[in-house]
Amino acid sequence: MTVTEVLPDDAALRAARRARVLAELEAAGVDVLVVGREGNARYVSGAPRLWTAGSRAFGPGCVLVRATGAVHLLSTWDEGIPDDIPHERLYGITFNTMNFVTVLQGIDGAATARSVATDGLTPSFSRLLPMAFPSAELVDGEPLLRRARRSKTPGEVDAIRASVRVAEGALATAEAALAPGVTERQLTGVFMEAMAASGVTTPAGQDVAWITSRERPWHRASRDVPVAPGDLVAFEAGAISAGYAGELGRTRAVDGDGHVRALFDRCGELWDRLLDACRPGAPASDLLDAYDAAGVPAPPMPVARGLGLGFDLPLVTHELPRTAAEQRLEAGMVFALAAYVWEEGVGAVYGQDPVAVTASGPEVLSTKPFRKARSR
Amino acid sequence: MPGLMASAPSTRIPPTADLARMHRERAERVRQVMADQGLDALVLMGNTNVAYATGAVWPLADSGRAGFEQPVAVVLAHDEWPHLFSPVREDDRLRVELPPDHLHGPVYLDFDEGVQRFAAHLAELVPHKARIAIDEWTNALRREHSILFTADAPADGGKMISRAKLTKTPDELSCMRESLRITERAIAEVQEHLAPGVRQTDLTATFLRSIFDAGADANVLDPIWQVMPLRMADGPWTTTGDLACPLLSTERALAEGDVLWVDTGVSYAGFHSDFGRTWVVGRAPTARQRTQFDRWRAIMDAVLDVTRAGATAADLTGAATAAAGGVKPWMPHFYLGHGLGIDSAEMPYVGSDIGEAFDASLVLAAGMVLVLEPIVWDDGAAGYRSEEVLLITEDGWEPMTDYPYDPF
Repeated sequence: MTVTEVLPDDAALRAARRARVLAELEAAGVDVLVVGREGNARYVSGAPRLWTAGSRAFGPGCVLVRATGAVHLLSTWDEGIPDDIPHERLYGITFNTMNFVTVLQGIDGAATARSVATDGLTPSFSRLLPMAFPSAELVDGEPLLRRARRSKTPGEVDAIRASVRVAEGALATAEAALAPGVTERQLTGVFMEAMAASGVTTPAGQDVAWITSRERPWHRASRDVPVAPGDLVAFEAGAISAGYAGELGRTRAVDGDGHVRALFDRCGELWDRLLDACRPGAPASDLLDAYDAAGVPAPPMPVARGLGLGFDLPLVTHELPRTAAEQRLEAGMVFALAAYVWEEGVGAVYGQDPVAVTASGPEVLSTKPFRKARSR
Repeated sequence: MPGLMASAPSTRIPPTADLARMHRERAERVRQVMADQGLDALVLMGNTNVAYATGAVWPLADSGRAGFEQPVAVVLAHDEWPHLFSPVREDDRLRVELPPDHLHGPVYLDFDEGVQRFAAHLAELVPHKARIAIDEWTNALRREHSILFTADAPADGGKMISRAKLTKTPDELSCMRESLRITERAIAEVQEHLAPGVRQTDLTATFLRSIFDAGADANVLDPIWQVMPLRMADGPWTTTGDLACPLLSTERALAEGDVLWVDTGVSYAGFHSDFGRTWVVGRAPTARQRTQFDRWRAIMDAVLDVTRAGATAADLTGAATAAAGGVKPWMPHFYLGHGLGIDSAEMPYVGSDIGEAFDASLVLAAGMVLVLEPIVWDDGAAGYRSEEVLLITEDGWEPMTDYPYDPF
């Protein structure tokens, strides 16, 4: 589909997401939600805004009032803004934080709100928000946002699939460019060019390829070292389309994978164990246990990362064992699941695919999964 | 018309940077600001603040990734080396030369368990009742972390970095020039591809390929190739009643005669570039459009005439407004100019809605880097906008950009 104008997210998708957040506000007794994270603002508003790289400090990027359901959005113009956010609820870019206070004070319900939730804070907004919401206690909005967001609606799963398609297409071009002499930085450029040529200009990450180390389980050298025969090169391909992340991980041997077949097999066996652990109701720590059961050391990246609009649950990493044990996998969760094995003198094989947990088990969302489906 | 360096060559920007010296001098600046404020420790979470304080460089990702893999820095008043908590520890690409005991694994401050781990580290690093500043925090950090959130709210760590980075060292200027050069090289490739029928996203594709081939670490902004309406009323509604810009790029195919306002930036060695030009697709500008460009040059020249260390931001806005015949020649939701460095837009802001009193009080200093971006808008001719990046010097300024104004 060729998109030649800036459009808001699909109306049904917007309505389903906003209803979830409103229900969580109701359950938590929160009157006003103020979010700064772009993913949260998009979830609530359904409006695309300019992509910039890197983290952003908290600022009142979007406000949702529980009593009225009104969304107020930081946007100087109305292009791409859903029609359920009228002009009077848009507020413009400002470099003067006191202007934010004025805007927030003017929101219907600000003066009487008793509980205002945020998704983070800065020292200056911790002083300014009480001026805008004089009757309110500032509370933690993360738990309610995570409850609303962690299970995906069918429309969201479709959106993630669409992003995965974009990443797959661009990844195929980058893989085709893999040859002795090319550098990791150049491969990143090839991926980015192909992604943009397919109509999506925003990446999930900008470190698309790396030559895996033969000496250490996890090490990246300069991005300008040319690829050499015998190298195992890992790709981490991610695109952000309509706000949703679609991500894949693959490994390619520069001159055929005959000599590293055993390592690919070990990674595949680990993957099978990981996928078996993706059952609704299971503790997320089963994914960590799958590494132990396969006799594979902890990988350098999280084993599972939620896919959605920006930051999403689950996050499963050996660095946070208690969190993993307390987290349950649920039907509707979608995450990037990573298998990573390393062998001294050979390098690493890394495979990552997007996985949706359904009532009947896991579903891999990529069209060409790194591990071909087994016959069951 | 050739770029700014044709008339005013740059002499104070060294061709290569000594990165070790750059990091050392930066660390000294940060600790000096901390000493001025009586701080024992500085905790930083913002990607660019961490990059500034530690010298670490990694390809910046989508902002949503920050919750999964946000590096955190801790700067101590009496330690020349900062501590870095990073998901990419064993990595030559970070290019940090920290002692091994200052490089730690990730702390995941969106999770209570991650915060507890970080708190345990911090308790070992900072003295009892230490005075700590922080730039931002997650709710988990606020909830779990009693060391940071004592009776007084923590001091603003972001302001400390703002102060430290306000002027640039020669090594930093050298890195910035390279970041700008990479951008200009990529933009030249894009401009060669500009033709009717080409989509905005095709221009982005060429740009993204070219910046990595030229050595960029990352793209920092979804590139803008905005097709300007001839009349303001034909553009989107705005809160200001003025122009809407920057608008997002799509697969829209460009048509002959389209006027594009271009705005892009990349990251190299931790420094963001900024680039702005006006292009016309597939034909020469009209006489009216040329006149707009001439007026833009006159405004830019008037501002450059008063730009030097010791001038105030109000001197610059005054010169611009006088040259534009009494109207402010910039977009009201932005500014006449802004600082550039570790962030795409940082202090000093010139002509922003912080207000005229602020502009009058803001004194330019040698070593500041300023992006000037006046506009000329004639309803019916789609306007003209370009950006120039300058180094402020004791006796004036030097250009940091060198890109022609073609087709003007």
